[in-house]
Amino acid sequence: MMSFNDHYVIIGNGPAGNHAAKTLRKKDKGARITIISDEMIPYYYKPKLTGFIADEIAQKDLLVTSLESYKEKDIRVRLGQAVEQIDPDSKSLVLKHMETIKYSKLIIATGSRERLLPFMSGYADHLKFITSYTDVMDYKEKIQNAKEFFIFGGDLVGFKFLKMLNSMGKKVTILIYPNAFWPYNLTEDMLDQIFTSLSQFDVSIIIKDDISTIDKKDNGSYRIKTLKGVEKTVDMVFSFNGLVPDIDFVKGSGIDTDYGILVNEYLKTNIDGIYACGSCAQIYNPDMKSYSASIGWPNAVVQGEVAAYNLLGDHKVIESVGRKYFDLEGVKIKTTWWGDINDASQE
Amino acid sequence: MKDIDIVIEICGSAGEGTISAGEILSRFMSGQGFEIMSFDSYPAEIRGFGKCVAHTRISSNPIYSPGKLADVLISLNDNHAISQLPTLKESGILIYDSQPARPHEEDKSVAGRTKPGMISYGIPLNMLAHKAAGNARGMNMVALGALSALFHVDKDRFTDSIKARYGKKKQVVIDANVNSFLEGYDWAKENIKKSDPYSFEGVNLPEQKEKLIVNGNQLVAQAALDANLMFYAGYPITPATKIMEILSKELPKHGGTLLQTEDEIAAIGAVIGAGFGGKRAMTATSGPGFALMTEFTGLSVMAEVPAVIIDSQRAGPSTGMPTKTEQSDFNSAVMGGTGDCPRIVLAPADTKSCYEATVLALYFAEKYQTLVVVLLDFFLSNSIKNIDVPKKPAKKYRIANIAPKKEDLKDYKRYKITKSGISPRAVPGTPGGIFFSTGLEHNEYGRPDYSQAGHLKMTQKRYDKFNAVLVEAPAPEISAMGRGKVDIGVISWGSSAGAAREAVMAAQKEGIKAASFSSMMVSPFPEKALIKFADNCRKILIPELNFSGQFADFATCILKRPVEKLNFITGRPMASEDILQKMREM
Amino acid sequence: MKRNHLYSKEEKLFQDKNKIYSAQSVKQIVYSTDARDFGQVATSIPCQEACPAKTNIPGYIRCIHEKRYGRAYELNRSANILPGVLGRICSRPCEFVCRHGEPDNGLSVAICHLKRTCADLKPVSHRIIEGLYAPTGKKVAVIGAGPAGLAAAHDLAVLGYRVVIFESMENPGGMLMYGIPEFRLPRDLILLEINNILRMGIQLETNTAVGSDISLDQLGKEYDAVVVATGCVSPRKLDIPGQELENVHHGLEFMKAVNEGLTPFVGDKVVVIGAGFTAVDCARSAVRLGAADVSINIRKTGEYMRIDDSEKHEAQFEGIKTYSLIQPSKIIGKNNKVTGIEFKRTGMEKIDTPPYRISVPIENSEFIVPTDSVIAALGQTPDVKKVSTRFSGLDKKGHQTGIPGIFAAGDFVTGSSDVISAIAGGRKCARVIDAYLIGEKRKQTVVRLENHVTTDRPRSHDFIDRVGMNTIDMKERLFKSTNEVETGYTDDQAHEESKRCYLCNLKYEIDPLACIYCSACIDVAPKDCIKMIADVPVNPDGTYGEYRETDDWNAVVSIAIDHANCIRCGQCLSVCPMDCISVTKTELIEIDT
Repeated sequence: MMSFNDHYVIIGNGPAGNHAAKTLRKKDKGARITIISDEMIPYYYKPKLTGFIADEIAQKDLLVTSLESYKEKDIRVRLGQAVEQIDPDSKSLVLKHMETIKYSKLIIATGSRERLLPFMSGYADHLKFITSYTDVMDYKEKIQNAKEFFIFGGDLVGFKFLKMLNSMGKKVTILIYPNAFWPYNLTEDMLDQIFTSLSQFDVSIIIKDDISTIDKKDNGSYRIKTLKGVEKTVDMVFSFNGLVPDIDFVKGSGIDTDYGILVNEYLKTNIDGIYACGSCAQIYNPDMKSYSASIGWPNAVVQGEVAAYNLLGDHKVIESVGRKYFDLEGVKIKTTWWGDINDASQE
Repeated sequence: MKDIDIVIEICGSAGEGTISAGEILSRFMSGQGFEIMSFDSYPAEIRGFGKCVAHTRISSNPIYSPGKLADVLISLNDNHAISQLPTLKESGILIYDSQPARPHEEDKSVAGRTKPGMISYGIPLNMLAHKAAGNARGMNMVALGALSALFHVDKDRFTDSIKARYGKKKQVVIDANVNSFLEGYDWAKENIKKSDPYSFEGVNLPEQKEKLIVNGNQLVAQAALDANLMFYAGYPITPATKIMEILSKELPKHGGTLLQTEDEIAAIGAVIGAGFGGKRAMTATSGPGFALMTEFTGLSVMAEVPAVIIDSQRAGPSTGMPTKTEQSDFNSAVMGGTGDCPRIVLAPADTKSCYEATVLALYFAEKYQTLVVVLLDFFLSNSIKNIDVPKKPAKKYRIANIAPKKEDLKDYKRYKITKSGISPRAVPGTPGGIFFSTGLEHNEYGRPDYSQAGHLKMTQKRYDKFNAVLVEAPAPEISAMGRGKVDIGVISWGSSAGAAREAVMAAQKEGIKAASFSSMMVSPFPEKALIKFADNCRKILIPELNFSGQFADFATCILKRPVEKLNFITGRPMASEDILQKMREM
Repeated sequence: MKRNHLYSKEEKLFQDKNKIYSAQSVKQIVYSTDARDFGQVATSIPCQEACPAKTNIPGYIRCIHEKRYGRAYELNRSANILPGVLGRICSRPCEFVCRHGEPDNGLSVAICHLKRTCADLKPVSHRIIEGLYAPTGKKVAVIGAGPAGLAAAHDLAVLGYRVVIFESMENPGGMLMYGIPEFRLPRDLILLEINNILRMGIQLETNTAVGSDISLDQLGKEYDAVVVATGCVSPRKLDIPGQELENVHHGLEFMKAVNEGLTPFVGDKVVVIGAGFTAVDCARSAVRLGAADVSINIRKTGEYMRIDDSEKHEAQFEGIKTYSLIQPSKIIGKNNKVTGIEFKRTGMEKIDTPPYRISVPIENSEFIVPTDSVIAALGQTPDVKKVSTRFSGLDKKGHQTGIPGIFAAGDFVTGSSDVISAIAGGRKCARVIDAYLIGEKRKQTVVRLENHVTTDRPRSHDFIDRVGMNTIDMKERLFKSTNEVETGYTDDQAHEESKRCYLCNLKYEIDPLACIYCSACIDVAPKDCIKMIADVPVNPDGTYGEYRETDDWNAVVSIAIDHANCIRCGQCLSVCPMDCISVTKTELIEIDT
């Protein structure tokens, strides 16, 4: 069933991937376009996930685009299918269910997933994260039924989650990590600011401390002990320590990767015909003298469009002037919002 | 108390154990107390790698139709399964092999074709089969194992069922099957996150009675043996061949004789010959064969010789589509042939009725000394159902000839005109009972008689005899009338009746006032009952599996009012969903 | 039951005479020097092919399976003179190509851990067997008691030479003793295995540096041949301003100091530059010296680090961070001590000849990181002039130097490489010297073929998970910095892991003369390993190339098993109705000529 037209494949069904697809279709009416997503849900608005957990909105309200609009644009969406491997030499990818797909040009827009702190790897089984719809569907009911929560870390998603739990009447304890706190390189000042803002919520705050042990008890609850001796027994433990690009399947394919997928200012990888955009892409930023990976919806949208334009032959440069940059182990993270922690929905 | 009603399809290439997996599954479920109905499809090729589909419906409530769409599709072969995807429900479950020996080309993988809303579970079927038994033959059992884990089926009970099924085979075969099952079960339990709502856990079922898992053909053969069949003559034809195959083994054990003839004409000839000789005789065929038997149907009726023809209908006309089901022989069975030739036609509506219909057919044929046609179809012949063991027929049904009394033999009139129309019938060899029999119009002694009055008298006699059957006919199946008028009355026959009944039940749940009517006795038809039913219905819907609406036209003549027709000739059995959809529109 | 009657007596004689080996005719043990057999063994047994010393890996793993640890040890030792040592610190080129580690097959076999096991678990009563040649009456000097020198010395001693090793340091072992930390390689083990070599009657002169204490010319006159195996000890310099500051260490020097029991200053924050094993060793040693914040900084990305996964994992476990795409541009100090280091960012670029990816510094990307010490572990170069000023060119393949009678082996020839390559180099050099001094070749490599019957293992073994190595926890590691981190497999663990080897030294072959093309074998093949082929091209070196497959039955010349994909499951063998698939044990071995 090979068409003679080009086949543009986009891995990732988030804002970057979708805007890339839309742009490609606008500019190229004839090519085959396929979006591959490993989740079973159409393009949805991630920031609204907390509302969905709290049952403030229904699943259909999460969706950004309906499946019909894809059909109208003649874009094929493969849901629930994961890419296992990319082979740039033969210009093909292998999906997890062992189907090979040939592409003429490829855009990788897989976004990012939760960052598990290395020294917490022993507790990985006890920790929960919220970075996708699939995660949420796993524990939505459990969250609604549970009463006490422990959050550690404290990135912006974490704060939104905390707000949501609060509005649901749950008891929450949060342990803020100054060392591995993301996306901020926390100064004393910032820490105080955060402490003050958080205090308006009914939440127990622990700072300048660290987790010593997490034990799962027979009845399913978790007992947490901190280094300074604080003990809490809770129903669920959540980790919010930032995001890392979701690119394991790219390693070893010949596409340069570091922390994310390495791209130049045109969002092109080291291999012709392969682009990367969104929070999975790592770009050198001469203003910051550092590599950066972007975070946030608006960035992803812009990058998706730029990648699409450049794939079709254009040479748009990704804008490098951002608003604020934060340090994460030597790589600066850019985000277009900064402001009140309370209003993190400003994305 | 929780209910479950699920359709599971297993699709593979011939030789991969697709059908046997379906069989093991339905056997197990039946043993657990569920109702099961299976309708498998085989490839047309005799050898080769065509597509096989084992389609099984499992329910905690009575089942009347096989289900149009599947809830679960198990793919043992991606290539074939892709063509089965259209019949998987939108929110259905796909189980596929996540680690085939070689990767699929683009769009040749069934998992890549799923629609959003479908749930896919990838299981390394090939790998686990190798792990269990060193080769890929056990893939079907691995899939069943995984299915059991997903739907909370008791693992030990299932493995017991497998062991029982393969009991007579070598230990190595039993072990290979059980191990493959367990590998699939364990892997699924450990690795799959269940995201579907189906579960067999906590479904309460009534106490188990001994059930028989059979198809229509098997029941016809069994009924014939139980009802004193002594002679069978036939010519093989899909889908009736199995009847002859079974009887060829069993009939001689019962003291009977089976003859494979050179064609269908000779077959019906031999049957009538045997009937003339006083023995119960039968043949089974399908549309094209029945057409060949047409002339002899006249002889049976004219010479008043008992004969039974089983016609398992398939798509026609002519050779048609031998492996597809249809209900297009109605006209031919009820009205075919030449002359005023009334014959009894029975059309069982479900698998278990095939037994009753055959017993009645042999009974009616012998008692009323005429031709009886039993209309089955490909679906009824081949679909498998678990039913209660049928009660063997009482003596009255097994020996029904009205023999002449001593007075009759003094001046024996073979075709004596009586009130019922039935003349006492002497079996050849009865002292004093010599008679003539001929296809020519005849007098009471059986000698040719062409007089005007004679032909009228004899024709009337034959019709009186024919109408008399109605007294003994089984009552029509009418569902859910209650009081007062209904909006839609669905009248159907044969295998469509099951789907009609289900559609009516579903319609009632949706608030549509509906009722269904079907009669096994199709000729003579219980017209009074039909009119009474129709009077209570604002609208009439007649669904059937033929193009022109043969039965609808027949019923319209009786009812003398317009009816809504619903015709399908897809080759697949009637789907209750389709009838329901039409009812909504009406 | 083999079809013996397929070939008449005349046919068989003809075949033997003309060296045509079909599957049916191999009934006894045959030694082959045919290029096609060498080629087949190379593609069939990737682990042995990748090993510079051509260790018979399936052979020794099978011995471990049979709990014959002593024999396994000997098999190893006949290729690599220091099995216990390599079983801990080898760079494992074999595991990288292990067939079990291919994408759909799972993880590679833990070949190195198994090697260690046979050294650990061999019985006390095990005896080392050396087959000694008659004395030649000649003597050879070896300069350097590192792996290359030791391997050369051992082999020369076996071949009948009187050998003297000159070592500049106090202890033998070279990089093993001074470059690799004790927590990866215990000292007593090194000495034990070195002593097993010296027991051959080799004389060891330590604390004697050639080039200063004794001259090369002198040795050249006194001895019939000299082997220069001094390795690479000249550290590569950072070549940036500030590298002379105090507390800037160089990798090997740093490790030497640590291994001698000293405590070089590291401070709290340590910046390690380098992407090889030494960089990781330095970083892990710095942690044990008490540094709280240790980072490894590499010019390219993690993909390009020349270390294996277990090292990466241990480093991360011990809290060491890795920063990529940066290179140092300047070291900053105060009062002559290091206070910080300036880095530049790098980007990856492609070069065409040779086709490779390099890192290129990005303009104007400088930034400064405060630090207490810097360790530059950039590798070493051989300091050719240090040994003798007469050295000019080096024949790196033939082990001949420009000076007659003076040979070279190991890192001195190849530049920084790994221990197993050095050992292989030392052995080859010994052969070259032997041929030079005696005038004939005494050993040759052949392929040994022997009829075999089955797979020797059930298919279910293919699904066993790789057995992890036992390690001690962080507390124990920090408690005593010399505590060996990996503690070795137990008997049961070794047995379990040995089950996983496919035994790729078994060759499955379809006899095309008996095959009836029923394709029953293709139907049961678990991978794409049995193919319909149109022809087999022959490479210029005489080995077979890749099969040319075809879909067209009319063009099919044979159904053939692809040895590069075959996982030796035995399915084809069990379904073949013609019994035309044979199993042959193929081994690359050395025999006397």
